Amino acid sequence: MDFKRLDLVRRSATPIELDVVEAYANGRITRRQFIQRATVIGLSLPAIGAVIAACGPGAASVAPTAAGSAEPGASAPASAPAVTGGTIRCAIQKPVKVDPVSMEDLGGYGIVAQSFEFLCTQQTIGDPGGLAAGLAETWTPNEDGTVWTFKLRQGVKWQNGADFNAADVVATMERLVAAGNSGLKGVLEPGGAVATDDATVTFTLAGGNGNFPYLVSIYNAQTVITPADYVAGTTVDQRPDGTGAWKLVNYDPQVGATFERNPDWWGGQTPLDGTEFLFFDSTGPMITAYQGDQVDAIVQFDVLSGAALFDDPNFTLIATPAALHRQIWMRCDTGQFAQKEVRQALALTFDRPALITQLFKERAELGNDHVIWPGYPYFDDAIPQRTQDIEKAKSLLAGAGVSDLTATLHAGQLQEIPDLATLLKSQAAQAGITLNIEVESLDTFYNAQWCPPGATPPCSGAAELGIVDYGHRATPDVYLNAALKTNGIWNSSQYTSADFDAAFTEFQQAVTVDAQKAACTKIETILNEDVPVGVPYFYNYLAGNSNKFTGVFSSALGQMSFSQTSQVG
Amino acid sequence: MDVPVTPGPLAPIAPVAPGAASPVSERAQARRETLRVLLRRPAFIIGSLVVLGWVVTAILGDRITPYDPFNDFAAGHQPPSTEHLFGTDRLGRDILSRVMVGSRDVLIVAPLAALLGVSVGTLLGLIMGYYRGTIDDVLSRLVEAFLALPVILVALLTLVVLGSSPAVVVCVVGILFTPIVARTVRSAVLSERQLDYVTAAKLRGESGLFILSREIFPNVLGPTVVELTVRFGYAIFTVATLSFLGVGIQPPSPDWGLAVSEEYTNMISGIWWPTLFPALAIASTVVAVNLIADSLQSVLTE
Amino acid sequence: MARFIARRLLLSLLTLYLLASIVFIIVNVLPNDVGRTILGPFAPQESVDALNERLGTNRPILIRYVESIVGVFTLDFGESFVNGRPVLPQLSEAIVRSAKLAGLALAITIPTAIAAGLYAARRRDRKSDRAIVLLGVTSSSIPEFVTGTILVVVVGVQLGLLPVLANAPRNADALTQIRYLLMPALAMAIVYFGYIARMTRAGTIDVLQSDYTRTATMKGLKTEQVMRRHVLRNALIPTVAVIAVQIGYLFGGIIAVERIFAYPGMGQTMLFAAQRKDIPMLTAGVIIVGIVYMLATLVADLVIAWMNPRIRLDAER
Repeated sequence: MDFKRLDLVRRSATPIELDVVEAYANGRITRRQFIQRATVIGLSLPAIGAVIAACGPGAASVAPTAAGSAEPGASAPASAPAVTGGTIRCAIQKPVKVDPVSMEDLGGYGIVAQSFEFLCTQQTIGDPGGLAAGLAETWTPNEDGTVWTFKLRQGVKWQNGADFNAADVVATMERLVAAGNSGLKGVLEPGGAVATDDATVTFTLAGGNGNFPYLVSIYNAQTVITPADYVAGTTVDQRPDGTGAWKLVNYDPQVGATFERNPDWWGGQTPLDGTEFLFFDSTGPMITAYQGDQVDAIVQFDVLSGAALFDDPNFTLIATPAALHRQIWMRCDTGQFAQKEVRQALALTFDRPALITQLFKERAELGNDHVIWPGYPYFDDAIPQRTQDIEKAKSLLAGAGVSDLTATLHAGQLQEIPDLATLLKSQAAQAGITLNIEVESLDTFYNAQWCPPGATPPCSGAAELGIVDYGHRATPDVYLNAALKTNGIWNSSQYTSADFDAAFTEFQQAVTVDAQKAACTKIETILNEDVPVGVPYFYNYLAGNSNKFTGVFSSALGQMSFSQTSQVG
Repeated sequence: MDVPVTPGPLAPIAPVAPGAASPVSERAQARRETLRVLLRRPAFIIGSLVVLGWVVTAILGDRITPYDPFNDFAAGHQPPSTEHLFGTDRLGRDILSRVMVGSRDVLIVAPLAALLGVSVGTLLGLIMGYYRGTIDDVLSRLVEAFLALPVILVALLTLVVLGSSPAVVVCVVGILFTPIVARTVRSAVLSERQLDYVTAAKLRGESGLFILSREIFPNVLGPTVVELTVRFGYAIFTVATLSFLGVGIQPPSPDWGLAVSEEYTNMISGIWWPTLFPALAIASTVVAVNLIADSLQSVLTE
Repeated sequence: MARFIARRLLLSLLTLYLLASIVFIIVNVLPNDVGRTILGPFAPQESVDALNERLGTNRPILIRYVESIVGVFTLDFGESFVNGRPVLPQLSEAIVRSAKLAGLALAITIPTAIAAGLYAARRRDRKSDRAIVLLGVTSSSIPEFVTGTILVVVVGVQLGLLPVLANAPRNADALTQIRYLLMPALAMAIVYFGYIARMTRAGTIDVLQSDYTRTATMKGLKTEQVMRRHVLRNALIPTVAVIAVQIGYLFGGIIAVERIFAYPGMGQTMLFAAQRKDIPMLTAGVIIVGIVYMLATLVADLVIAWMNPRIRLDAER
């Protein structure tokens, strides 16, 4: 360990930064987790490099391979000779809304993120999961993480020629807070964002928060920075001028969108001349289009539809481990699953590895009936992984005085969920539990089975047993808050636990690595024991492109980045 | 669809002396004659055998399938082999077993829809054709309006509004078939009511209802039966298409149309068997029903 | 003739009115909260109430009925639930695309089916006749999505002859567009071949057996002349009727075919609207197809009246 080099970094570090460095230096977090944490709290890349170099013999450099392409043989943008020119055609699900403030679907996120940008963006070199500089160049927290200072990039222009400055950022944040953005709710209050000068924005938070930069990053999709005089409710085709690498040229809500290179982009000249998006209603036709050579890239697809693509040698698969998951909620307050033992029994019938093989062809990670994804830096793997144990399930049921348990398993028509229901039914039957499957269209399902509107507390009209989908989040805050906290807005299991609520508050307020991990351990243990929701897996986000192009990156939220893409020579 | 299978002049199967003594036994004899003639036509035999075959598999269900169609999960997407004659689907379930059981939902929903359409349609057709006048004018306009409605699209709209349960599918498809049947029956009644035996009955002082049910209806039975069979074929066709579009029968049913919609995108990658066999099943059933209808029409109208 | 046309037109308008009423009943048979459907399950109740107020969904049903009927006749279908934009402009491009596909399908099927029907009728009850009838019965029994998928696999992927997606790149010339549309058009054409061929055959047989044809033959006219002067005109009457009536079913087939070939026509739009519960869009689709159907039958009736003076005179009496 090169203490001298380490000390240089230590001396100039704020307490939070110091804590992360110490955690890594003392081996409490892995190098990958360190890089993630460090980029989030705003440690500069040179500083990160210095710490890593200082902390171990043969420590590799910070920028090894191209991120976002987890498959071997993935393309590295810098090394290959870049051919300029050409257009890439991308298949994306049809956007429901392209209003940056209120959009909620992957189609919208993907389109808006082409011409608009975030303060913090996706890390495309090194391991995925951290943050890279976007419209903000650097950011630092104060001692307890209650005030974050963001220094903005200089010389950025809007596509209509106006200058980008702090006023735009402040106006954007105010707009989002007023609209009740789910990521910022409870964290940033009105007036919390202040422009201390043209190039600096200071965020004063409601409480200490060690993850704040995630909440103004690409992972909180609505936080694209829009001009100061942007009116909430305007869609991106009505006012297309963002700061991004691509200018929106044509938008047809039924057919697609076309973008052209923005010659004044701060990131330089993009190798490609333009990008073209084609809208699809479902994954099947996207795959067809790709195989028919009518698109070159696909924004998101699921394993079962895209089975053919895995064997296609001309297809570059972008498989990003993500926190995408399904929750099998069980009513904890009334009904047949009110007893903890019954819920545990059902969870014990899950054959998780089989589910991962059948439904995802191994492209998923085991879930342990809690919502802390193994990819989060504060994940604690010390909790024993629950596996299928039919005998134990039976004895738990007997002990709870339950025999011939029969329930209706509700599911929405979305990707693999009906198939998941089928497999669960078969697995549960081995322990004598009879599940009758009822599949409905997604809208009906959300309104009738999951969270019937108008109920107080929210979701108290939920069905006894059902499967609901959750998209990727860079932090588990939304899952914990909405789905599991007492009176959470998405709490379909009506789970109420004072212990859990306390652990969650502890997690939110924790800023040091150890504190976050300790809180997470508590959360994992409590959820694994109480099983308000069964979480059998976290599956990978799948996207991809044809080998004719290289340098394609994708977040797990439908935002594909083509600014470094070029045709292969 | 609203065209009879092989169009031709429609004539009743009236026995020699309509309305004469012991009409029942006369009719019974006529029916036996018809059956004998039918059985000599290869189209009828083939059609009936196929339909019967599917009905048998629908009734016996998983008792005769080689594997459990719901709980037996082998390796996914295995091509047809000696172990799995039709291969396995994405979850590893035997496709032959699922195709056999998949007949059940369609063979319940489609006949019910056809029956609904034909019963209401025949009633309407009888009334319209016999009474004529204002009732006929008003109902005809209504029938025309219904005929202008695109069946699949209206079914889509209704299933979205009401949610897609089998009961709703039956009602929607049945009601949408009613006008076509009504029109066919109406024209048959129109040609009947001018015949002598009807005038004779009127002179005798029989009530309209009596004439309709005892005299006219049995003589339009021929076209009605043909219509029922044709409707049955198109009910299968329509229900399968609705399931393919995702608003008919819902997962996890092994229904044929649903099976095609679940895996049709894989055909392009060479995994054709989860799609082809259910599709052939649909085709075979509808063709068989239409062959029966075609034979019935030839026999009952010659 | 003018009286005939006027009468038919009036009847069509009446039918349109009934059509619009039926659709209104279907959509309003269940009480549904429009504001809630648009804003989703998590919007606060005040926003939902405000939206309902703005859209006027709480007004008495009679007023809404009148509005909706007027809307149909002025082609104003309101705004989409999904993106709040007016419905008709969004549909117009899709309608044009579907019209191209349907047009190509009809262009393929009508001449071939009529030719087959005539051929079969002249060789009645011989093997070729039975074969054509059987072919007709079989081909019209196979749903479009079945033929569509087989075409995609065999012709599109294995043989690579035709593109697998039906939507040609923008600004492609007519020939390229036809190339892209060929497979989906074929999938639809195969189904309608059967009906039209059999209708033509039946109509031709009828006419061939009729008195005036036999008179013409006995007068010494050659078969070809007989065919041309008398038979064709009258035999085609039921065919024209069938083609018009099939428009409604053509549309059902289009939905399935557009799904398989990912063609952004009316069918895809309607399917997406159904998935998103976008009722104004669906309603507009139903009415528009209904209007097309009525226009088609109107034109068919006029053509038939022109071809057969007896019908025209009959109606005018």
